[in-house]
Amino acid sequence: MSGLADLTLGFIPLTDCAPLVVAKARGFFAEEGLEVALSREASWATIRDKVTVGALDGAHMLAPMALAADSMLAPLALNQNGSAITVSSKLAAMMREADPAAMDAPLITAQALAGVIERRRGQGAPPLTFAVVFPHSMHNYFLRYWLGQAGIDPDRDVRLVVTPPPRMVEHLRSGEIDGFCVGAPWNAVAVDEGLGEMLIKASQFWPGGPCKVFGVTAAWADRHGDELRAALRALIRAAAWADEPGNHAELVALLSRPEHVGVEAEVVARALKSEIVFHRDAAGLPRREHALWFLSQMVRWGQVGPEVDLEAVADRVYRPDLFREAALSLGPVLELAQVFADAAPLASALFDGAPFDPANARAYAASFAVRRVR
Amino acid sequence: MRVLVIDPDPARAALVAEGLAGVQPLEVRRAATFDEREAADFAPDVVVIAADSPDRDTLESLREAGQHNPRAVVMFVDRSEPGLAEQAVRAGVAAYVVDGLAPARVRSILDVAMSRFALTQQLRGDLAKAKADLESRKTVERAKGLLMKERGLDEDGAYRLLRKLAMDRGKPIGQVAADLLAFAGVLKGDAS
Repeated sequence: MSGLADLTLGFIPLTDCAPLVVAKARGFFAEEGLEVALSREASWATIRDKVTVGALDGAHMLAPMALAADSMLAPLALNQNGSAITVSSKLAAMMREADPAAMDAPLITAQALAGVIERRRGQGAPPLTFAVVFPHSMHNYFLRYWLGQAGIDPDRDVRLVVTPPPRMVEHLRSGEIDGFCVGAPWNAVAVDEGLGEMLIKASQFWPGGPCKVFGVTAAWADRHGDELRAALRALIRAAAWADEPGNHAELVALLSRPEHVGVEAEVVARALKSEIVFHRDAAGLPRREHALWFLSQMVRWGQVGPEVDLEAVADRVYRPDLFREAALSLGPVLELAQVFADAAPLASALFDGAPFDPANARAYAASFAVRRVR
Repeated sequence: MRVLVIDPDPARAALVAEGLAGVQPLEVRRAATFDEREAADFAPDVVVIAADSPDRDTLESLREAGQHNPRAVVMFVDRSEPGLAEQAVRAGVAAYVVDGLAPARVRSILDVAMSRFALTQQLRGDLAKAKADLESRKTVERAKGLLMKERGLDEDGAYRLLRKLAMDRGKPIGQVAADLLAFAGVLKGDAS
């Protein structure tokens, strides 16, 4: 294949940008006839805007950001898991003092936080501050869910702020924030520097839960069907490559380079080992149920009103058909059973065991004790 | 009207602030990063922010005004003509305004910011070119010195030889001079 256009794709310095970095560095884009330039961006808002106006052809995106944008498509999920909630060592000590038993069980550590909040309220201390990376992000919904399950109201009992991922650790050190929910490798960086404790990982919160997607605009996809298919094929191959344990040393070296994520190799390696999945278990498939879960959380926290047809949004943005078409065309190259593990029922049980029925996303949103449903 | 300019690039921020000072009546403040407390004290009506500032996402979160941010913020280009949004994104500028501000006034601020961003880019390009030119001139001087010493040429003869080599190879004279110096280094064993 040749004669395809040059593409510029954006990414944020996070471990889960790996499929883009690998597809470029290992020549998968080139083998698909694509000449790709990667553009490291400083914020998700800039990624969204540049893709929207065509200054970028596509990008690494927060899945909920693609769902909240006007005209975005998500034809590929980039990863499962990878984020975590970390609190400062000081707050962790206070939590241990308040409720030692809860701190020993990763799934209910938020109960210890509720104890600390109660105590601080009695002392007239200011609310604790937690940071997430973007209003429409898995991190925001993960942190809010975790707080809500312990009866903590994320809008009233704590102060929630948005901080760019590379600045989280610095703000934890300065005491500006008491905890955060962010993607790899930043939790490992905070732990490594002795600044904080990781309380719960995404893989414990929701095993196999979604996080980032590869996003393009609907208009771009219409005009560049061949390029999109070629890019998806390259990214799927890159994701499969990135999952191979034998390739991890090379992947870590690639990601830790200053022009990619730019942190110590060991720190990148730690989050890769057990957590992030790029390809196996159908990690690349943009699942409708995932889109509807994100939308249910937008409803729960008042980001989306009653006028929005959730299923229509999910079907417009999430495009498993485009993923399937690209993945099937790679048949001989890939183990198809891994690509289409979606034939099996979705392992979507969150840590609290609350059942989620994608057909009743609004009822699910309304079922939570702590909520802001409009 | 109060305008806050957030730009990690201090030279560019200064240029934008200076340009905005001409739009009357304005009070302009600039900072490398967005600090919520500082911003709350200043209470800007408009925040102009560089697209390469990571603080954009923080400003984005203020669009969902909570109890901590009573002044709801909207992104200016949201409600403007699509051409303007594209122009601003390509220029690397975004503007957030307090809801209810007259679009025409914000537009003039954004126009100034965009033109100053373009000017910065042009100045940076000119500077890089000037530096490269200077570097190439220095390299040519050194190559001339080498030829004068090794080949017993006078300055004019050394320059003519370099120019001939450049023409024969179809390369810039600075490149030929750099190659020559590199080869001389290898022959002397510098690159061992």
